[in-house]
Amino acid sequence: MKSKSSRFLVWAFGLFVAQGIFSNAVVLPKWQKEFAPKGDIFAGSGLSPDQMLFALGGFREMVAGILWVRADSFFDDGNYDAMLPLIRLCTILDPKQLDIFSVGMWHIAYNFTDEGNRSDRRYVPYAIALGKEAQRNNPDTYEPFFETGWLWFNKVDDDYDQAVKNFEEAEKREDMLAARKNLLSVAYQRTGQIDKSLDHWYSQWDLQDKNWRDTGDMIPKQQRDTAENNLDTLIVRMAQRGYFAQKRGEGIQNYDLYPPFDVGFAAKAAVVGPGILKVDCNWNILPAGTRIRCILRDADYPTAKFADQDWDRETGVKLDPPKDMTWMQEAIYIKNRHGMRKIDMTRDQTMYPFTKDKYVLEFYWNPRSAAGFMQDKLGFLGEGMTDKNYLNLQARQGQRVIYTSFTLTRDQILRLGEWASKVPTVQTPNYVDPNETLKEKDDVILVPSLRNDKKG
Amino acid sequence: MKQIIAIAGTTIGEAIRRKVLLVILLVGLVFLIVAPSLGALSARSETTILRATMLGIIQLTSAVIAIVLTVYMIPNEIERRTIYTILSKPVQRWQFLLGKYLGAVGALALMMLFMTIVMIAVFTGMQNGDFGRAVTLAQATMMFFVQMSLLAAVAVCFSTFVTPLVNFFLSGGIYLAGSLFAPMFDSLSKQQNTSQFSKTVTWAMTTFLPNFSYYNVQNPLINPSSTIQNPMSHYLFATGYGLMYISLLLFIGHYMFDHREV
Repeated sequence: MKSKSSRFLVWAFGLFVAQGIFSNAVVLPKWQKEFAPKGDIFAGSGLSPDQMLFALGGFREMVAGILWVRADSFFDDGNYDAMLPLIRLCTILDPKQLDIFSVGMWHIAYNFTDEGNRSDRRYVPYAIALGKEAQRNNPDTYEPFFETGWLWFNKVDDDYDQAVKNFEEAEKREDMLAARKNLLSVAYQRTGQIDKSLDHWYSQWDLQDKNWRDTGDMIPKQQRDTAENNLDTLIVRMAQRGYFAQKRGEGIQNYDLYPPFDVGFAAKAAVVGPGILKVDCNWNILPAGTRIRCILRDADYPTAKFADQDWDRETGVKLDPPKDMTWMQEAIYIKNRHGMRKIDMTRDQTMYPFTKDKYVLEFYWNPRSAAGFMQDKLGFLGEGMTDKNYLNLQARQGQRVIYTSFTLTRDQILRLGEWASKVPTVQTPNYVDPNETLKEKDDVILVPSLRNDKKG
Repeated sequence: MKQIIAIAGTTIGEAIRRKVLLVILLVGLVFLIVAPSLGALSARSETTILRATMLGIIQLTSAVIAIVLTVYMIPNEIERRTIYTILSKPVQRWQFLLGKYLGAVGALALMMLFMTIVMIAVFTGMQNGDFGRAVTLAQATMMFFVQMSLLAAVAVCFSTFVTPLVNFFLSGGIYLAGSLFAPMFDSLSKQQNTSQFSKTVTWAMTTFLPNFSYYNVQNPLINPSSTIQNPMSHYLFATGYGLMYISLLLFIGHYMFDHREV
């Protein structure tokens, strides 16, 4: 009996050790690589213990699905704050569900707004960090790269090199949708890489033409025609700007970009009430469409640079932006050479806490983000533009942009102390009240030529 | 062998006649049929949610069935004294135990197959007849079957020496712990600020407890955009691991049963 027990113990121990070795050496590494939950579920996921047990009991995708349905209902109700932690939870529970990442990035970057529909840009670095997390968790599919690129292209709307980088990564993935590839060509244009843009349009044309001939399907034909149309437009525009003449080594003085046009920028800002800013800009280009970027931020805002910040600085996703920092960004729309905007920051104190003593008010314009008809005169890099006062060559490497800034104090912005009864006003020396110079009615948009010779 | 097959066949028949199991199965089937309405509540990714929900329902229902089916298996035979009739015949105790286990697994297989067929039918109906995509989900239910067979082995092993109520919670606890420790070990091993003690404890638990996480392979099937390199090798190794652990549990179960005064 004793020897039977001993035999049992030996066998049991042997089997126990064998399963442990087999498990750790063979099954676990593959499971960790391909099937283990990504992200840190245990620290900071926001799951309650019962939810965590349920999620890790093998039902995490189901829990993520149910939470996602709940998040959707919060979105329908406009309860955006409640939606945010659910999105984060879903991305941790099921890091392969791309829709949650895509919607989450968009939601974080766009939907937290003040009363004037200005989005809270303190969130944008976290939206980009979420995009990078989506890329790490889903390296084989195009969508997280494309969506992150779109955020750089559309929301940051300045650093197109980052957009290009992400779109190029997206295009390396086999599942990239053909229609979405077009955006890379446009992003190349905005970085001034015209030859790359042309090459990309040509390759798109070739690919879709081949697909059409191979399959007889009308969708590739439609995409080929789109590429052809955009290619034609780009060739015509670049020819008119003298791009090809310049490449041939010919004189370019007779083309549209030359001589550079003086945009005549001037600005004025007045604090018309506590936390209420009235901003005026003069701009010497008549057609409507210019949007001057106006930023009011802490003077010591981390990673801030000329009318910009390092949007790519965050490595982790946080649900709350820094509550003690102020970053207000507005686009001043120009019509008939003048733009005015009253910015009321009093009703959104969590977005504009004004906890610091000094603030910087910046004005900035970049031709890369401008409408096509303006770029045709001013160029992608500002070659056709000048300004005798505010042309800046340092703000963005290799570009000519318009930039100026003012300093304001907290007391001035909130009309405290000596400023309680005075209207703090800052303005560029060349600012002239448009009522004194412009006779056109506001509701008439004049469409003259942008050419300096006024011939039409 | 004949004895084992006879006992297994009888056990399957008994299991199918047990009302409590049928009720659990019915609840699972009802949830499977109404699952599409949950996916429809989402503006996007309704297919993903539908897949996740359906597989979750099958897994949850199967786990409950596996435990309820097996915890009463040996104690009922002893309580009703039918075991004496069986063991008085030329049937070894290990044959009885193995036959009971295989019968439980057979009944489990039938119920899971039924749920899988319903899932495929509902999914195909929702996806306008995309039968191929629906069938790929069956890969997950096959791995769930190995997982539930392992869970059944845990419960059968415990049923040889503990009461059904204790066994219910013990097996459920082992299932949760066996699902929890592998992701926990994976998560902690990537963190540099975690103490060595915590890492060692989770490693030991991952190594010695039956690892149920290996069979949660539904993620790439729910999200088809994710690419898995050679999933079949994982399926085979995980099945091999399961068979090894089931053998160990039945071996222990046999030893305990053999030493029990019945």
